[in-house]
Amino acid sequence: MIGIEHYVVVSSILFVLGVLGIFLNRKNVIVILMAIELILLSVNLNLVAFSAFLGDLVGQVFAMFVLTVAAGEAAIGLAILVIYFRGRGTIAVDDIHRMRG
Amino acid sequence: MVDLSQYLPILMFLGVAVALSALFVFLPMGVSRLTGTHNPDAEKNSEYECGFPAFEDPRSQFDVRFYLVAILFIIFDLEAAFLFPWAVSLDLTGWPGWITMMVFLGELVVGFAYAWKKGALEWE
Amino acid sequence: MIHIIAFYLFAVLLIASAVLVIMSRNPVHSVLWLILAFFNAAGLMVLVGAEFIAMLLVIVYVGAVAVLFLFVVMMLDIDFAELRAGFVKNFPLGILLAVVLLAELVLGFGAYRAGTLKLGEADGTAATIAGRSNIESIGALLYGEYLFLFEAAGLVLLVAMIGAIVLTHRERTDTRGQNVSKQNKRRAEDATVNVKPEVGKGVTL
Repeated sequence: MIGIEHYVVVSSILFVLGVLGIFLNRKNVIVILMAIELILLSVNLNLVAFSAFLGDLVGQVFAMFVLTVAAGEAAIGLAILVIYFRGRGTIAVDDIHRMRG
Repeated sequence: MVDLSQYLPILMFLGVAVALSALFVFLPMGVSRLTGTHNPDAEKNSEYECGFPAFEDPRSQFDVRFYLVAILFIIFDLEAAFLFPWAVSLDLTGWPGWITMMVFLGELVVGFAYAWKKGALEWE
Repeated sequence: MIHIIAFYLFAVLLIASAVLVIMSRNPVHSVLWLILAFFNAAGLMVLVGAEFIAMLLVIVYVGAVAVLFLFVVMMLDIDFAELRAGFVKNFPLGILLAVVLLAELVLGFGAYRAGTLKLGEADGTAATIAGRSNIESIGALLYGEYLFLFEAAGLVLLVAMIGAIVLTHRERTDTRGQNVSKQNKRRAEDATVNVKPEVGKGVTL
């Protein structure tokens, strides 16, 4: 039988994969943003699983808010990426510390 | 556990879609493999552009203005997604729910008016 | 039975596509694997009855966010081989961190199985309303109790929209756009002048 444990295991593996993705692709901001999306997805999966487990819909309502924030974050993050690329012609994050002022 | 039997039509739809698209892809390949001669070489497999080698990467750049349209689409997509549960539960939430949604829509209208005023929606 | 098969199918595909998202050489492939991961997560959510969230995931993520990522990848002409330079160098550290994190999660999970802390229990006030569907119950909760959080979410959207416009919108000066209201306001008497110059004299405009 599938229980809450199975869902928690899946979402924690997903979370770790997201963190690993940030570490492995340290130079590529696009993949870092995708890894952040994976982390937020695992959070959502956890919220939904516990909401179903406890019979309490608040988890699903908060999953909606997480989704909203994730969409806003993707939009703004990619917008910053676009103007950064426009100015420098590269998206290597190593150079971002030069971005002052 | 949710009653999954109500998803049977979707599963059937997916099955038919996968079967049809696989058919469209693999049937011509199989037929041509069976009926024609098949001896590819490097020249035949290279991409063809009117007799000369391709000038540039096929992954051409888009204009940034597409990006702004896509962002505005995301925002209004989420707004529309929030409208669904509101619309079906109005009998439970009543006037407070209605007023909340109107305030929410007002916030989005402010953003829309801003986008319009700045000319973010204009193409040329 | 079908539940168990479906769970394992979705879970395995979800993990596999998440691995491919972070391992892929080409970011375009990463985005496509990300779309597959979202679909499978939506499947997992449908299995526990969170139908509305699953639909939202497909509409918002697959329909919009993933397309936005694809857009950016296609829009920027980036040398991706250069960006992968640190991949091998960072691999041991990343794996170490992932193992530590996973060990912590497993530890917490084991502690949970040994006996949970009771932080409180669902009192049933937020349960699915009997005889109502998932989406109706979510609506009743969201618009009945979490009004202000909902308005805050609207403000987040507003800020995201304004921020994106401020950041990426550039006034175009090289092309002359059409000003419809100015066109409509223009009348014949504003545009033309009827003069009758005397012979030998010019017209002053």
